[in-house]
Amino acid sequence: MNRIFMLIAAALPILAGALLPAWRFQKRRSREIYVLSAVCATSLIVLGLLLRRPEGALRLIRLTRTLDISLAIDGLSGVFAGLVAVLWPLASLYAFEYIKHEGGDDRFFAFYTVSYGVTLGIAMSANLITMYLFYELLTLATVPLVAHTGDRRSVRAAKKYLGYSIGGAACAFLGMMILYVYADQSLTFVYGGFVQERTPLILAGYLLTFFGFGVKAAVFPFHGWLPSAGVAPTPVTALLHAVAVVKAGVFAVMRVTFYCFGPEVLRGTWAQEVVMAFAVFTVVFGSAMALREQHLKRRLAYSTVSNLSYILFGVTLMTPAGLAGALSHMVFHGVMKITLFFCAGAVMYKTHREFVPELAGLGRYMPVTFTAFTVASAALVGVPLLPGFLSKWNLATAALAEGGVIPTLGVAALLISAVLTAGYLFTVVVSAFFPVNGEGSHGLELAEDPNLYMKLPFFVLTALMAVLGMGSKGLLTLLSRIAWGEL
Amino acid sequence: MSDFVLLVPVFLPMLSAAAVYLVGRRSKKARDILADILGIGEFAVCALLLAYVCAGRVFSLEIPGVCGYGLSFKLDGFRALYALIAALMWMMTTVFSREYLAHYRNRNRYYLFTLLTCGATVGVFLSNDFFTTFVFFEIMSFTSYVMVVQDEKPGAMRAGETYISVAVIGGMVMLMGLFLMESRLGTLNFDRLHEAVTAKADLKELYLPGALILFGFGAKAGMFPLHIWLPKAHPVAPAPASALLSGVLTKAGIFGVLVLTGRVFLRDEIWGNALLALGVITMLLGAVLAVFSVDLKRTLACSSMSQIGFILVGIGMQGLLGEENMLAVWGTGLHMLSHSLIKLVLFLCAGVVYMNLHKLDLNSIRGWGRDKPLLNVCFLMGALGIAGFPLWNGYVSKTLLHESIVEYIGLTGGGIYRAVEWLFLLSGGLTAAYMTKLYVAVFVEKPDKPFPQTGRYMGLDSALAIGLPALALPVLGLFPSPLMGGAARLMQDFMVPDPQEVSIRWFSLTNLRGAAISLAIGAAVYFLFIRTVLMRREDGGRKRYVDVWPQWLDLETLVYRPLLEKALPFLAALVCRVLDNLTDWAVAALNRTLLRRKPIPPRNDGDYEPGDFTPHVRQSYTVMRISGSISFCLLLFGIGLCLAMGYLIFILLTR
Repeated sequence: MNRIFMLIAAALPILAGALLPAWRFQKRRSREIYVLSAVCATSLIVLGLLLRRPEGALRLIRLTRTLDISLAIDGLSGVFAGLVAVLWPLASLYAFEYIKHEGGDDRFFAFYTVSYGVTLGIAMSANLITMYLFYELLTLATVPLVAHTGDRRSVRAAKKYLGYSIGGAACAFLGMMILYVYADQSLTFVYGGFVQERTPLILAGYLLTFFGFGVKAAVFPFHGWLPSAGVAPTPVTALLHAVAVVKAGVFAVMRVTFYCFGPEVLRGTWAQEVVMAFAVFTVVFGSAMALREQHLKRRLAYSTVSNLSYILFGVTLMTPAGLAGALSHMVFHGVMKITLFFCAGAVMYKTHREFVPELAGLGRYMPVTFTAFTVASAALVGVPLLPGFLSKWNLATAALAEGGVIPTLGVAALLISAVLTAGYLFTVVVSAFFPVNGEGSHGLELAEDPNLYMKLPFFVLTALMAVLGMGSKGLLTLLSRIAWGEL
Repeated sequence: MSDFVLLVPVFLPMLSAAAVYLVGRRSKKARDILADILGIGEFAVCALLLAYVCAGRVFSLEIPGVCGYGLSFKLDGFRALYALIAALMWMMTTVFSREYLAHYRNRNRYYLFTLLTCGATVGVFLSNDFFTTFVFFEIMSFTSYVMVVQDEKPGAMRAGETYISVAVIGGMVMLMGLFLMESRLGTLNFDRLHEAVTAKADLKELYLPGALILFGFGAKAGMFPLHIWLPKAHPVAPAPASALLSGVLTKAGIFGVLVLTGRVFLRDEIWGNALLALGVITMLLGAVLAVFSVDLKRTLACSSMSQIGFILVGIGMQGLLGEENMLAVWGTGLHMLSHSLIKLVLFLCAGVVYMNLHKLDLNSIRGWGRDKPLLNVCFLMGALGIAGFPLWNGYVSKTLLHESIVEYIGLTGGGIYRAVEWLFLLSGGLTAAYMTKLYVAVFVEKPDKPFPQTGRYMGLDSALAIGLPALALPVLGLFPSPLMGGAARLMQDFMVPDPQEVSIRWFSLTNLRGAAISLAIGAAVYFLFIRTVLMRREDGGRKRYVDVWPQWLDLETLVYRPLLEKALPFLAALVCRVLDNLTDWAVAALNRTLLRRKPIPPRNDGDYEPGDFTPHVRQSYTVMRISGSISFCLLLFGIGLCLAMGYLIFILLTR
């Protein structure tokens, strides 16, 4: 396809979102059609772009003699853009129904659609400065979504999110400046990186960028915003805080590690040890926090904290195999976690119950929802035949192939975290399906599965998990080729 | 026949599970018939495969790409036989459960998950690399959870909690072991493991992965100290499910241990000793727990644990005996086989009792079986079998295991292994004692008050499901050479790469002597301990069975649960809570100090005028006096002068 389509893919949702309030939709239905057609059109363009990838970069704006804002697609962009493009329409469907009890539809869908374009922008950035631009834009576009409810809690969460993200971006900016001055003045992504020499300053710059972009990837100690942001409406938590925003952080770390600094420069340095240690720690830490959290959405948010660090752990191995594992977990985790969040949202929507002990006995009344929840839980724990198992296997084999103390500890951390995951998810499943002495079942008689808008994503996602779990050889090979820089 | 036929016994039950569930929502009767047909079909497929294998055919199938890494199956003698045993048990329990579960709720769910578990278990037995084993093993763990908690009573839920916790932790520890094993050996394929190990030559660095994998498989098998779920989960599950859990699922754990022993740690002494030690503890502990138990199914469950201990002893001896381990190999294989069949019979008998009385406490069911000859005979067959009575199948396998220990004592000159032999005989004796306790309680003693007559106590199909396997037990024991020996010959290739010829005199005097010693110990324990200490006379009436095992003495409530539910969460929560807020605290501290906002002056102050950019903040009188006076200026001038002088002196001195 022509290179101009990259611009269209990013600009279409941004424009559609920005113009949404101008239409003054009176009917819910027409707004839904408008949003859905914009989102689906974008997704189609993205899929077309992935199938027939345009060569070269599309320069949009020239900033300085060396720097410009430009878009390009390579394998890594393809993974992120493809993931987002598949999940966004589903999440939009879900949001149509869910937002009915939140209100403020115009504002919500405007920013929701804008975020789509910005996320695609991050995926298709050709150089660091472009990615930085879209990265900041993503923060700004999603803050109103976090604060959507407008009560004190959500405003505080939004402020916290803003503070963390801007702070992180500032750190990343510093790192970027170091790169600009000491390495390469165009900052264009090249597989294997463009840094030639290993100096302490460069390594310090890597740490800055890692933790800076790591804020959105919720790496410890910058994870605090993610559980707080769970107050946002569920479509936001599900899509943005399980897939788009947090994966943008992870994606940025991948770009920085493999396409800017380069694994050759970083491998075996203290910087690698530091970032890997933080990732490994976050894996166990997030799961442990999730285990003691009683609010279902916050529990899932902590679970995301942990799982994002699985990905970061794979990245910090700084081997192609590690990156392949990281990519596979990035894709699989997206599918699994969005399902879990959708289920949590469906429960909140139908019964207004948010805390885990309140869910006892709901399985009988909301069978579809909880079946999807069960499948996704099992997948996230890493039950074989489901996708989570594969990515963990990939990550662990990559880590052990690397050898060394921290990677081995990391594998142990993955497994400990899997046990904890079973602890915090299966307790929900078990109490939903097997309530002890029928506890909590009063007042549930009216609870039922949500309507088709919300159920359709469940069916699609559950089927997707089964397919990914059993027949993903092709996908894994593709990811592995991307990780080796062949695509 | 194409090798793809191997997929049939694995995926037939798994795929048809959904069909059974859907049919069951329409018609219960059709579902029962469909489930029976599936059970029989599965058995027929496995029997056919075994026939092919007996004729010398070996099936092996690799499906690359599925689940990312490809699954690998193989069918040799051992696997074919064990798949057949699993299918047999599934067929019998399915037939039996129609009557047993008649008054249960959620039967569709039961059938759904039993069939899934069935397929997964056969998958474990057919697998040919640890990856495939792990895949099916995990599925089996999770689907069998639903079988355990079928009742949904608090007791069942608690037992299920223990079960799933052990399964999850065991599975993950095993996975860690598999990762390490793969990174050190480069393969997980059973056929290539042995070569990889011999090429490696240094077994030392394989002990850690080996131990981790053993942890996972041992947890499922009920090996000490991971046995905690077994005496709890088996009694609370419905009887057919208990029979499966005890007869087949524990063997799936043993399967993995066998692979480790035969392929990785072949003839390794350290490994053998470790397994022997664990086996002896499991064997003895299970037997002692069973002697103390006053619940029919709990006794049987503890007995299962003890028999797993026997099998582990056999596996340990395989490692120790080195080249001459054929007796241990045969003993292990045959005891697995015997135990599966015996436990099928015994648990189904217990199921008949429960189905009629809804009680399992020995005092409540006492004497119920007196006028029921069929049940009586079936139970007796199982009891004699497991007690190792000559002419029954348990005798054959236990004798072989005993012989292997004796052989090792002959090779090394005894020492600690003499104690092992006596513990082995003692455990055998305890087995006889607790089985006598059960048999006497249910079938010999008179009931406290007559049970109400309720027509037939079991239907024809249930009777067949119990009777046929019960019949097999003495038949196997009566003709050990063709039947048991033939089975062992089929199984041996799996356990050792180069099996040698064995000739065994099954009923030689020395072998009979071992059985006699065991049975004598059993009689002594029964009359001197069970009838005196474990039965008390209550207010002049008759003696009743009492549970004298101290409640607190339970590894789970004593160690594991406090550790996992209290200590670790407390520590983790403390650490996490502090760390979780670390960044926020830093921000808060900054807000209080550096970033503190200037207060906005109150508006109705009087001295605030429009257009005045510097609102007059009211200052205290003292401050005004100081800052406004000339002496203040002089003071500041003096300080500045002093500093300048000091600086000059400093420079002069350092010159």
